[in-house]
Amino acid sequence: MLSIKKLKVSIENNLILKGLNLEINQGEVHAIMGPNGSGKSTLASVIAGNENYKVESGSISFYGKNINDFSPDERAMMGIFLAFQYPVEIPGVSTINFIKTALNRIREFNKKKPLDAVNFLKTMKKKMNLVKIDRDLLSRSINEGFSGGEKKRNEIFQMAMLEPKLSILDETDSGLDIDALKIVSNGVNKLRTKNNSTIVVTHYQRLLDYIVPDYVHVLIDGKIVKSGSKNLAIELENKGYDWL
Amino acid sequence: MFKSGSLIFDDKKIKDFINKESNPFLKKSRNNFLKKLAEKKFNIKEEYKYTPLKQTIEKNFNLRFEIEKNISSTTEKKILPYIINDNNVYQIITLDGKILKNFSNLPSKISFKNFDELDKKEKSLLHHHFGENDDSDDDIFSALNGVLWSKGLFVYIKKNQVIDRPIIVNNFYTSEKNIFSSQLRKFIFMEKNSKLSICEFDYSLISNNFNSNVTEIILEERSELDYFKIQNDSNNSTSFNSTNIKQKKNSISNTFTFSFSGDIIRNNLNISLIDENCYCNMYGIYALNNKSHVDNHTSVDHMQKNSISNEHYKGIMNGHSNGVFNGKIFVRKEAQKTNAFQSNNNIILSDDAKINTKPQLEIWADDVKCSHGCTTGQLDENAIFYLQSRGINKERAVSILINAFFDEIIQKINQNIVKDKINEILSTKIESYLNER
Repeated sequence: MLSIKKLKVSIENNLILKGLNLEINQGEVHAIMGPNGSGKSTLASVIAGNENYKVESGSISFYGKNINDFSPDERAMMGIFLAFQYPVEIPGVSTINFIKTALNRIREFNKKKPLDAVNFLKTMKKKMNLVKIDRDLLSRSINEGFSGGEKKRNEIFQMAMLEPKLSILDETDSGLDIDALKIVSNGVNKLRTKNNSTIVVTHYQRLLDYIVPDYVHVLIDGKIVKSGSKNLAIELENKGYDWL
Repeated sequence: MFKSGSLIFDDKKIKDFINKESNPFLKKSRNNFLKKLAEKKFNIKEEYKYTPLKQTIEKNFNLRFEIEKNISSTTEKKILPYIINDNNVYQIITLDGKILKNFSNLPSKISFKNFDELDKKEKSLLHHHFGENDDSDDDIFSALNGVLWSKGLFVYIKKNQVIDRPIIVNNFYTSEKNIFSSQLRKFIFMEKNSKLSICEFDYSLISNNFNSNVTEIILEERSELDYFKIQNDSNNSTSFNSTNIKQKKNSISNTFTFSFSGDIIRNNLNISLIDENCYCNMYGIYALNNKSHVDNHTSVDHMQKNSISNEHYKGIMNGHSNGVFNGKIFVRKEAQKTNAFQSNNNIILSDDAKINTKPQLEIWADDVKCSHGCTTGQLDENAIFYLQSRGINKERAVSILINAFFDEIIQKINQNIVKDKINEILSTKIESYLNER
């Protein structure tokens, strides 16, 4: 599904990713772990197409297609979703209208008819339950005045609505208390199918107790230095990153 | 010849013009304004700090006055597309200030006339108040307008009269450069308990038109006025506007100033809250591109206690456009328990666009609540990426963000026909921004 080869990425002339390789197949959950500043969030942003980062060399392919030059919206329409570490507040834009616009753009791309108001609301209700998000919250401007937990739940709610093929969860656990963490992880788990894949970017092993990965990769200084099973995460929790 | 500031006037021509005024009261008034113009030391450097007068106005006012007597068929053709077919509004069309009755629809119970059509009572009302409530002591163009206004518009809303539909006024200007006939003087008088919504559009039918509009508004007790001004002129006109509102006890004014194009536009808005319990809202939007220059100078004077003023202006500048916002709040010693709020937010879209913004507060009372703030920035790139990451393309994302920026102000428009019109103009504007990106 996703194939990253020898990827080098810089921002403002600082090389962040220094030749990174990653293969993800359908139905898999991959965890990317690593210390601060190792390039985890950069990787998440670059897969989603953030134009602040410059791809110096290497390639990102999605379903066999090189997407290096694709804009973020084109990638989203193909099925890539980024749950932001810091979801942006956008005053004046209603969350519901925004999600409706986004969903219908993606449906149009997939040659499906746009959802009418009734069916949209039906779908919305179902997905709202999944992450226990309130209707009132969705009537407000995007993320405006939301608590940290509400913002993260809103990310997973959008993910549920847009049904991406590849979801990237960038530090979704940061700023969440244990109850919110359970709700969010539960939502993610319920959205798992054998056709979609997930990348979980995290600092701590804690999240991986709830979202159990098939593979764990350790990212240090812009490169994946070690890959393994979920046991690697436990090992990291005990030993830290120094031994690598 | 005499000089005022950097402007040079031919007093012989001006005197000839004044002598043609047939109303003795107005003749005297014009001469009073002329005295001000000739003798006052206007602080042009400060008041027009960011608006380059030299480019605006020919140094030498080589004045010619011509007023189109009858509407020509070419002019008629130009005007027709602007006429609104909507029974939910009243409509007035003016040509250089002259009301074109054939194109207007207004019930006779509403007194909306040119100065030369007034009956005895209306005349005495005008003579009683005219020329006392403008900013001609401080602004050279208001003084100039006082001398040389070519047509007067008079609006009189009687006691308890509630005008059930908005009055849309389309002002068309036809005079060419150096011909000084697009100078309007307006007088609006609202008696106790009356209510009016008025919405003015300004259009010049010829490029490089210079027009001026000085409006005096008096709101008696418990009267309520919505006053919309929409400047979306595709011709490169220079426009000087001064709107002066005097509010009595328990009166309400809601002013909206929308500026979308024009070569150089100056809008003075002065509100005097002379009694207790007055309420005024001042809203503004400016969305500019190319070389448009729009300068909003507002002031609100709290003279007595318990009044509220609330001001919010928002602007977007693109291309080489220039915005100026200067907002003054005065709270006098007697004006305890005043609530005064002011806010100005700007987004700059291009490297060459500019905004100068300046809040000015002078507070002499000690038990008041006042706040002001201004921000200037760019469109939030993180927000654009966020929207894009959900499948919304960049153009759409930018347009969503611009609409969202102005939404706060647009939601305050309480007349749907105006709201629709503003949304329509804005979407065209946003499209032009996107084409220039």
